Amino acid sequence: MSADAAAPRIAVVPSPPALLPSYAGRQDPLPEVRAAAVEACRWLLAPGPSEVVVLADALGARVGVSLLAAAGWTGAVRAVGVPGEAGVPPDPGAPAAPPDALLVVADGSARRTEKAPGHLDGRAHPYDERTGRALAAGDAATLADLDTDLGVELLAAGTPALRALGALVGTRSVSAEVDYEGDPFGVAYWVVRWTCRS
Amino acid sequence: MTLRLGRHRFDDDATLMMAIVNRTPDSFYDRGATWAEDRAFDRVVQVVEEGAEIVDIGGVKAAPGEVIDAEEECRRVVGFVERVRSAFPDLVISVDTWRAPVARAVCEAGADVLNDAWGGADPALVDVAAAHGAAIICTHTGGQTPRTRPHRVEYDDVVADVLRDTLAYAERAVAAGVDPASVVIDPAHDFGKNTLHSLEVTRRLGEMTATGWPVLVSLSHKDFVGETLDVPLTDRLTGTLAATAVCALAGARIFRVHDVVPTRQTVDMVGSIAGRRRPARLIRGLA
Repeated sequence: MSADAAAPRIAVVPSPPALLPSYAGRQDPLPEVRAAAVEACRWLLAPGPSEVVVLADALGARVGVSLLAAAGWTGAVRAVGVPGEAGVPPDPGAPAAPPDALLVVADGSARRTEKAPGHLDGRAHPYDERTGRALAAGDAATLADLDTDLGVELLAAGTPALRALGALVGTRSVSAEVDYEGDPFGVAYWVVRWTCRS
Repeated sequence: MTLRLGRHRFDDDATLMMAIVNRTPDSFYDRGATWAEDRAFDRVVQVVEEGAEIVDIGGVKAAPGEVIDAEEECRRVVGFVERVRSAFPDLVISVDTWRAPVARAVCEAGADVLNDAWGGADPALVDVAAAHGAAIICTHTGGQTPRTRPHRVEYDDVVADVLRDTLAYAERAVAAGVDPASVVIDPAHDFGKNTLHSLEVTRRLGEMTATGWPVLVSLSHKDFVGETLDVPLTDRLTGTLAATAVCALAGARIFRVHDVVPTRQTVDMVGSIAGRRRPARLIRGLA
């Protein structure tokens, strides 16, 4: 129990701008995704971390901070950028090991259906399935190895953050819980909780 | 300002649909379709399902015709108001009447609003509103006698006349003890006005909303639409909705209508264009 409480917690949530209060309509188009993401943030905050590290691109960081606020977090947030493209150097402020509370804001391909933002690309489903399996299995090595160039072609905005997550967790043992997996508007979203065991 | 309509309150930015329910055999648009009480009740059920916040029950048609005295008007509306009140406790009930004795009877039966289409022709109406905590709609008729048509009416400035009369009526209501949050002004399109007057009132409605009093507009299928577009009674919805959009943009709060759903959509669309209302759902480009 005490060992679990000290174990680094990692939550992976998606980054649709529709989750931001500034884009709120009168009805929430993503009630399930929002509920799962906020609940995962609450779980992240439950042990009382001194700060939350947010690993995301610029949009993801906005969404992440907003979800943390919705979960009741008023403490420190340290946003860590991710290289947006191959060849961009990593953020010098990036942690070397998983912090106590890490929020990864990342999603999969936006080309999963004909009505998806990027229309249908046949490669999107296998690409996202591999990512989803890795997230569900706590498989950091597969995430670290995600294809960056293909991710760009598939409008998978979360690929750099997920690769960074994989590299950060490395060979540590992870227990994983999947709270949400879906693509209601043709973009792959996951809400996943990881606890690093060692 | 916050609006209080009898037992109901509405936020500053709320727009309201007031659905017309006639207990008359001869009103201009529906021509007696809801003359039978059960048909009128069916109409109430329908407009509530369509989202109307208010029903406006009338027992006397506005145009000249068979004389309907206060007793007959009461026979047409008082029992009906009671029936609607008990079936729909959350619905705002307005009664279209200019007569204080009728107003007293319908307030006792559960009415929330007195819609005086005839500009205060009965000076005691405000006292009834005050005594019963009812709201009052203060209209402009240019001094027309109830149930008369305008004939060769001219104004130096129709909007100035509308403002002078409706504001004087509003102040008289407040002086009589009506809650200022329960006073609404209405330029009364077509009442004491030719088509050019009604068009000008529409074009300059912002001068009414700028007074701070909530503004009601009653545009539905009226002659100024018919004359402007040269269309018969059956073909005035498009023109009605165009006028509705202009009034909504100017900030009108209450829309007295035959067609609840198209008017609601028009008003909501304009409200969102004006930045006063969040769209229903936002996902395009934001998934």
